[in-house]
Amino acid sequence: MSLRIIGALVAKDLSLFFRNRFFTLITVLGLVLYMVIYFIMPKAVNENLEIGLYAPVMLPAFEQMQGEGLEIEGVESEELLKEGVTEGQYVAGIALPADIIEDFMSGQKPIISVYFASDVPEEIKDAVEVLIRELAYQQTGQALTIEISEEILGADMAGMQIPPRDRMRPLFAVLLIMMETFGMANLISEEVERRTINALLVTPVSVKDLFAAKGITGVSLAFVQAALFMAIIGGMSRQPLIILVVLLLGAVLVTGVSFIIAALSKGFMSVLAWGMIILIILFIPAFGIMFPGAVTGWVKAIPSYYLVDTVHRVSNFGAGWGDAWYNLLVLLGADLALAWIGIMALGRRFR
Amino acid sequence: MASDAIVAEELTYWYGELVAVDHISFNVAEGEILGFLGPNGAGKTTVIKMLTGQLRPKAGKATLLSMDVAKNVDRVQGDIGVCFEETNLYEQMSAIENLKLFARLFGVQSFDVEALLRRVGLTGRGKDRVAAYSKGMKQRLMVARSLVNRPRVLFLDEPTAGLDPTSSESIRNIILEERERGATVFLTTHDMLEADKLSDRVAFMNQGKIVALDTPHNLKQQYGKRALKAKVSTESGKLEDREVILDTPGTPGAIQELFAREKVVTIHSEEASLEDIFISITGRGLQG
Repeated sequence: MSLRIIGALVAKDLSLFFRNRFFTLITVLGLVLYMVIYFIMPKAVNENLEIGLYAPVMLPAFEQMQGEGLEIEGVESEELLKEGVTEGQYVAGIALPADIIEDFMSGQKPIISVYFASDVPEEIKDAVEVLIRELAYQQTGQALTIEISEEILGADMAGMQIPPRDRMRPLFAVLLIMMETFGMANLISEEVERRTINALLVTPVSVKDLFAAKGITGVSLAFVQAALFMAIIGGMSRQPLIILVVLLLGAVLVTGVSFIIAALSKGFMSVLAWGMIILIILFIPAFGIMFPGAVTGWVKAIPSYYLVDTVHRVSNFGAGWGDAWYNLLVLLGADLALAWIGIMALGRRFR
Repeated sequence: MASDAIVAEELTYWYGELVAVDHISFNVAEGEILGFLGPNGAGKTTVIKMLTGQLRPKAGKATLLSMDVAKNVDRVQGDIGVCFEETNLYEQMSAIENLKLFARLFGVQSFDVEALLRRVGLTGRGKDRVAAYSKGMKQRLMVARSLVNRPRVLFLDEPTAGLDPTSSESIRNIILEERERGATVFLTTHDMLEADKLSDRVAFMNQGKIVALDTPHNLKQQYGKRALKAKVSTESGKLEDREVILDTPGTPGAIQELFAREKVVTIHSEEASLEDIFISITGRGLQG
């Protein structure tokens, strides 16, 4: 391999990439838009539950509910309470009966009505029910006859609520990296389709030089954008070296994928078609981070999981090398496997 | 005596069941122009691919500038220039950028891009994107690209196909200039007149084999028939064609008889063309 030749080819590829208005537009636009979206998203998590309360007779225990993550707002009628819940003003509405004290005194069970919106998450519903029972116990002076012992298995991330924009951060970074797959695959596919590759291969350029140049171009384009994005939005405030390493491994991953797409494709539309299929699969792990519980264990079979998971853990929880090494190792293995498949597939097309 | 720039020994290539090149052998001397002729699918491009290191022969050996092509591809490719039949330029780049890229790939240190553009008639258009060029301009740029490294062996695959007469003439002049410089030229073409005019020798290729290889003059001597073509005026005043084959024992008598019996209006001698010779050897035309 010759550094002079590889340098000339990389310069040529970068020049051609940025002359393609479509790919230049989506590259710059993607970078800017993701940053804008990131900065306009909430930077803190509102953990308070806003609850409406209709209480003709206020009980001391209910008066003490304010604080501790609850925001209680009194309403003047049960109808207003229902309206507030329906309109999303409160996650739940509690209506106390007028004769609640008499019922307590006589040992009868008062009926407390709780209203929820139709789309309320099950865990909120459960939490409010538990809260009311607890208050009732407090009001009647009967303590719960159980004690709760809590134990956290694995890294204790309980209470470390992540603002929505930071939860989106791995998705944005991965989107930026992966969008480069289209541009790179198209660049290679055009080289084959327009037979410019034949012109290169009758000069001292070897197939190894070509792969090295394409690899460097692809990795550079993907890595620089993702690293720039992470640096600007503060994603490298914790463990920047691990973030850089994982982004670099991610860039190698998508370059291998772009080789495969280029080998499968004949022309721009074909690149887009194959690219979309493969990218949708690679995006799935990112949705798992955005919506915890949305995906199950099988997602670990997708190599991009280890990219997304590492970016998430490191940038949002400050995970160190000890936590990240396994993901990095798996990602490196996936990089090598995909690069090898890509080179083999593309090599056949070059010939 | 000049040494050989190209030596092909029993060169063979096949694609699956199809034998594209079937044990062909030939040599081209340094500074010689070899016209490589044959119909589409005869195997000409496959031969170029093997000689330029794009394909590894299935059997036989190709030697360029005393180097085994298969074993010294990088060194061989540094000394050759290839002009492809199909346009394969970077169309989003300018002519100057295309030429400078290839100069860098060849490691050419001093390179007068303007002089090269002037040579192929593209002065003043060097900064335009190639996508805006006409077919003739692109073809001339392809030829220019094949010259950036001042190649010792130049492979030109149908360099004038589909071009206007001016562009074709410009490319023919460049071929002759390159020969003057000492370069060896391997030229494939469908244009028999072009091959006749430019080539020191021509090789006819048919169905993967070389069926004839010699100078155009010798081939005409060996396979062609010279003739006298005459136009005669009949009693009704109509013009009719007459032909007398030359170089036969009966020729003098036939000429005497023509002048005695007919009213000859025009008469001229005509040599056999390379196409006639190809047809007489293979029984098929070059276009098919």
